[in-house]
Amino acid sequence: MRSLTLALIAVALLAAGSHEAAAHHSFAPFNLEAEKTISGTIKKFDWTNPHTWIWVDVTGDNGKVETWGIEGMSPNYLGRRGWSKNSLKPGDKVSIVIRPMRDGSPGGMFVRATLADGRELRQSGQAVD
Amino acid sequence: MRFTPIAVLTPAAVLAVTLTAHPATAQTAAAKIPPPTAADWAALAKLPDFGGVWEVGGGGGRGRGAAQGPALTPAAAAKRKELQSLGREDNQTANCVPPGMPGIMGQPYPMEFLLTPGKVTIVIEAYTQVRHIYTDGRPLPEDPDLKFHGTSVGRWEGNALVVDTIGFSPLTELAANVPHSDKMRIRERFTLTGPDTMSIETAVTDPGILTAPYTTTRTLQRHRSWTIAEYVCQENNRNFVDEKGKAGIRLDDPAGTTRK
Repeated sequence: MRSLTLALIAVALLAAGSHEAAAHHSFAPFNLEAEKTISGTIKKFDWTNPHTWIWVDVTGDNGKVETWGIEGMSPNYLGRRGWSKNSLKPGDKVSIVIRPMRDGSPGGMFVRATLADGRELRQSGQAVD
Repeated sequence: MRFTPIAVLTPAAVLAVTLTAHPATAQTAAAKIPPPTAADWAALAKLPDFGGVWEVGGGGGRGRGAAQGPALTPAAAAKRKELQSLGREDNQTANCVPPGMPGIMGQPYPMEFLLTPGKVTIVIEAYTQVRHIYTDGRPLPEDPDLKFHGTSVGRWEGNALVVDTIGFSPLTELAANVPHSDKMRIRERFTLTGPDTMSIETAVTDPGILTAPYTTTRTLQRHRSWTIAEYVCQENNRNFVDEKGKAGIRLDDPAGTTRK
């Protein structure tokens, strides 16, 4: 049942995100069946093409800080859906749900983020005029 | 009496004339196209209103009709199977090589149509691409150079813009894992279907590859307040595909967007 649910999520994700694959690259490096939540502090937010990159400093159990790189959709795409270059700022405390890298390296594909003030960021949604 | 310079053909002048002979010929040929008149500009107002920025609905994609896929000849089907068996995870767009036609028309980014006398220009945001469609009655070239977007001519049929394109780069694909031949031809019909909706019917023919035209339809939505944004794929591209088709991501150098 759980695997069916995950499969359905993956299918829905592919349906929702297939345009991104059409746009620039495939999902192959990401594990679409896995979901991981990372919490930390925004180090840098790249409002750049072909993808936005959120760099998050995450403190591990051993006290060491590791920087995670989270790939999001392009500023062109997100900018028409309510985001701006100021949506995330260095120092912001954030919790981000990602599809992690298959190879286990500290990175993944953005799913959604929740900020300390409760603000939630998503990539989907209707384009706004 | 006004001084009239008399040409003195010094050796240098002769050499200069000889060296410029080819550009001069080319300029003469180009000069055969008359400059647009005020009437030509005024006539644009009678054409369908294609102006503004348009986005493919549903976030891009291959369009309706693509689900069945192209009807391939046995040889093309075998080629696709062979390419699929290689297990390539991605294609060169991951390395910022634009997809070319027909893929460039299905991107999740908008495009803008510019109508000028004798020409329709499509400014495509994805990969910062441009299509040049000549509507001045010129024929398609006999032996075109091979281009990502081919060479296009168009004509207005009632409210529709009908565009024929030939001469595609071998670096472009007809569909996923389907290489085209040098005979591929694409006919597109652009029609306004509502105040802010446009339909693009695309028919791909390629004898030797397809047993029937591969026809898809996309619907575009106009956003009059939008502007085309910059899209420099090399700005911060961390994706890549290697020569074996293995896809990867560079997570190093978080300062990579700063000029060093």
